[in-house]
Amino acid sequence: MINDDILTLYYYRDGLTEAERARVQAAIEEDTALRARYEQLCEDVESFAAAEPVAAAPAAVARWHDSIERVARIEQQRASSRNRVFHLPSFAWGAVVAAALVVGIGIGSYFSGNNVPEPSIDNGVADTAMPEPRSPSVTFARGLLVHLRESRQELADLPMGADSERAMLIMQMIQQNRMFERAAVQNESQDLARVLRAFEPILMRLASDDISPADAEALQAQLAFELNVMLTKLRRNVSEVTGPI
Amino acid sequence: MAVFERGGLPTQAEFHEAISNRSDRWFAACLRITRSRELAEDAVQEALLAAWHKRHQFQGDARLETWIHRIAVNAALQLIRKNRPGVFEPLDTDIADNGDSPESDLANHDLGDNLAAALRHLTEIERVCFVLRHLEQWKLKEIADETGTNESAVKQALFRGVRKLRVKMADMRSQ
Repeated sequence: MINDDILTLYYYRDGLTEAERARVQAAIEEDTALRARYEQLCEDVESFAAAEPVAAAPAAVARWHDSIERVARIEQQRASSRNRVFHLPSFAWGAVVAAALVVGIGIGSYFSGNNVPEPSIDNGVADTAMPEPRSPSVTFARGLLVHLRESRQELADLPMGADSERAMLIMQMIQQNRMFERAAVQNESQDLARVLRAFEPILMRLASDDISPADAEALQAQLAFELNVMLTKLRRNVSEVTGPI
Repeated sequence: MAVFERGGLPTQAEFHEAISNRSDRWFAACLRITRSRELAEDAVQEALLAAWHKRHQFQGDARLETWIHRIAVNAALQLIRKNRPGVFEPLDTDIADNGDSPESDLANHDLGDNLAAALRHLTEIERVCFVLRHLEQWKLKEIADETGTNESAVKQALFRGVRKLRVKMADMRSQ
């Protein structure tokens, strides 16, 4: 007995051996009722056509173009620095340290729960307008805890030196960070979103090629410290609501 | 469309051209799998970065757009596995997916066709197996490998999916 499931596999030319296919084909040729069932199945399945795709959001397309530009730029910087005869001290290192410190202040203020104005970071420029922090949902907070723990581990495991694997891993961390930043916005935790956003320029610096191994190591240590602080505070906040995790 | 000699490395400009020409299709494919605009956008983003870093592996006799499309679909699968653990576990019962979130409703609407509406009535694994086999033209074996299940589970999901879609599409046509 050849049922519609077998006919489906026959239609897709998949999942049947040559001998099974030959048997089905012979049966279809001999059996009028079976042939009618198969023709109906073909007609039905061929009607499962997708409409023309709806366009992706222009902002998303711009982000995709932007991401290719950035990784290409990082590679070009890396290639040009390899060609340098002397390694010049990284002029940008001061900016990196400053950015890391600002992130630290931002995180500290976020978790302090007082009304001290908290700096926001946008390309290293701080301003003082800051809403009162709101508690993110427990589900989101637990997800964020996992993300921060993974980020801390990924940071610790980052391969040293300028290779594409390292840059790719950091870009993935940035993508993850962006997802949680958006989730923070959806959870009406604008201040937390801002803190997460502040990690991105530092991660971008970490991915770039004009940073010496020693500087990169120091920056990783600084980020690991900030992640620890954030994890501790967040864990405490979640435990206060739900009990120990 | 960019077609490369074997061994040729796709350039940045060719990636931009591929994004301009084909990213809607990558996005739509990812949206059918994830039913979430955000996850679909992230899948395309991850695919582009992965494709860029692995571009030396690119086989020049294929199209860059097609190669990225495949990577994007894989990224979408990985994202839903990560976001919804156990999603590809085989089901013993034939349960319709009536638990659409507002976001997935929106995603179905965005896909804008009868098929998208009918796909709502499939479970996650049925939908994914159908989309990959029927629309993406993957082999059953490839689907099993990428979803971490086995070929038999993929077949069963495809059978259930096709059965439900035939009924739903017939209903829609008669209305």
